Amino acid sequence: MNITVPHPLRSVSQKLRLDLLNLVRDARESHIGGPLSSLDLITAIYFSKIFDLKKDHFILSAGHLAPALYVVLAHAGYFPQARLKNFSSFGSHLQGHTSTDTPGVEYSSGSLGQGLSFAAGLALGDPRRHSICLTTDGEHQEGQTWEAAMFAKKYKLGNLINIIDYNQYQIDGAVEDIMPLGNLAQKYIKFGWAVTTINGHNFKTIIKVLKKAQKKSDYPTCIIAKTIFAKGISFMQYDYQYHDIKNLSEAQYQRAKKELEKPS
Amino acid sequence: MTTDNKDKQPQLLSMRQVFGQTLLSLAKTNKKIYVVDADLKSPLHLGKFASWYRHRFIECGVAENNATAIAAGLAKTGKVVFLTSFSCFSPAINWAVIKQSICYNQANVKIIGSHSGLLSANLGATHQMLEDIALTRVLPNMEVFAPIDAVETKKIITTLVRSPHPAYIRLVRPSTPQIFPQKFDFTIGKSHLLQIGKHITVLGYGPILIQAIKAQQKLNQKYGTSAPQLEIINCSSIKPMDTSTIKKSVKKTGRLIVIEDHQKVGGLGQAVASLLFASNLYPRFIHLAVDNQFGQSAKDYQKLYTYYGISLDHLLRAIQKLFKN
Repeated sequence: MNITVPHPLRSVSQKLRLDLLNLVRDARESHIGGPLSSLDLITAIYFSKIFDLKKDHFILSAGHLAPALYVVLAHAGYFPQARLKNFSSFGSHLQGHTSTDTPGVEYSSGSLGQGLSFAAGLALGDPRRHSICLTTDGEHQEGQTWEAAMFAKKYKLGNLINIIDYNQYQIDGAVEDIMPLGNLAQKYIKFGWAVTTINGHNFKTIIKVLKKAQKKSDYPTCIIAKTIFAKGISFMQYDYQYHDIKNLSEAQYQRAKKELEKPS
Repeated sequence: MTTDNKDKQPQLLSMRQVFGQTLLSLAKTNKKIYVVDADLKSPLHLGKFASWYRHRFIECGVAENNATAIAAGLAKTGKVVFLTSFSCFSPAINWAVIKQSICYNQANVKIIGSHSGLLSANLGATHQMLEDIALTRVLPNMEVFAPIDAVETKKIITTLVRSPHPAYIRLVRPSTPQIFPQKFDFTIGKSHLLQIGKHITVLGYGPILIQAIKAQQKLNQKYGTSAPQLEIINCSSIKPMDTSTIKKSVKKTGRLIVIEDHQKVGGLGQAVASLLFASNLYPRFIHLAVDNQFGQSAKDYQKLYTYYGISLDHLLRAIQKLFKN
């Protein structure tokens, strides 16, 4: 009999998926596919204790993944959980795209392609700390990402880690149809980075590569994390139309909730 | 500058050179000063900075978007970062990065845009930046400055090193006449009266405003004591703007000319018109600026100033038109 004990972070991310679903229901309009695909990655960054995020830097380059970051920050105690229901409401510090108004958010974002450069600037100016950037695969269509990739190699930013949420979808469809990225791993290797491709939902693997990336080196690290778009909600998974959602119906909500509550 | 007395010919100085020297000397004691450059260290006279302070000179290559967010990230680690390029590239190519990574994130980055305006005469339309003031003054958290000469450039740079705000500083390519003495005070949000007068307020920034001084000389030659007396205001602090000095002057003269080596749309003239309207001040007003056109090459910028309607002659005609009424 093959019994695998689930990783302790699995139960955390399961709870956070439900928080995210509730946030989406309360907000009536939100991004959802990307936040669900990237949630395990952000969970690992915050709760694996590999990094000290009071000192190390976490830059969420893709500002539309805000809901995932917010549920993590609330769980980590940066602000009360109850505030999640005010996501994107007037007067709330939880804006539709990330803003430094939110306790724990280090970079205001929303326009794609800038975060890796910003994270590289932090890595350069704060060489004793790590600068962890979360980008998306679709975001790599922005040329600035590659400007940053060149830069990080030139300045030997061994403390820079780019984690790519590789979920293969973007607003208008599959990344492969909209603008294929080719062999992303090979591209980063050619740009002089240390590259690892992993399953972005396997905590054991995520933690292993984060620990490796943390080690001192002259090379920036790129982690291509293969993820499932809208992970956890069967009728949304792999459907690009769930990049964002308006007015989640009660039936949809109940169905999604049931699926997310199932022990994984 | 043509004057009767050749001994009074002002000395020509390069803003760019003085910028490079100023930063070099400030960096000696202020270890927080960094330069993030996009392959233009030679034109900005940063060669010495790059070799003396190798670790504080960050060369990004021809990649302004990356350079801009690098500068922002670096600034967030406590550095005072000068992002150096030509204004036709920065704040142009990288405007969205300036908006998000610098202004919205409140990063202490000073954007140096050289080669602004039609003064970059021979380079042609793509390099004659006529939209930089519009692009920068529209951004929240951004301060905007345009020195009239090299001495003021030095003062502005020295002052801004102590300010935590994002800022844009407009420099020009050619060496230009020295207007300010070495000793004068520059304050953010304050303008300078280059000349006090009661008939017409002439407002501007950058070397083009020197034409107003020349205009007064010509008027004095021609009309003697009955010449119109210009009140010339150097509005080098475009944002924040010295609204009280401008309003006070316009109240006195009732006539206003704004002259700028920039597009009319989004320029100082529109900013001032909006300010005055909102203050129930309605002077007779002429705005001399490039009007919805691209530049073009010329060996001598004077040819371009004439073609685009912002020359000394155009200014004199505007003065006469306002003075008659």
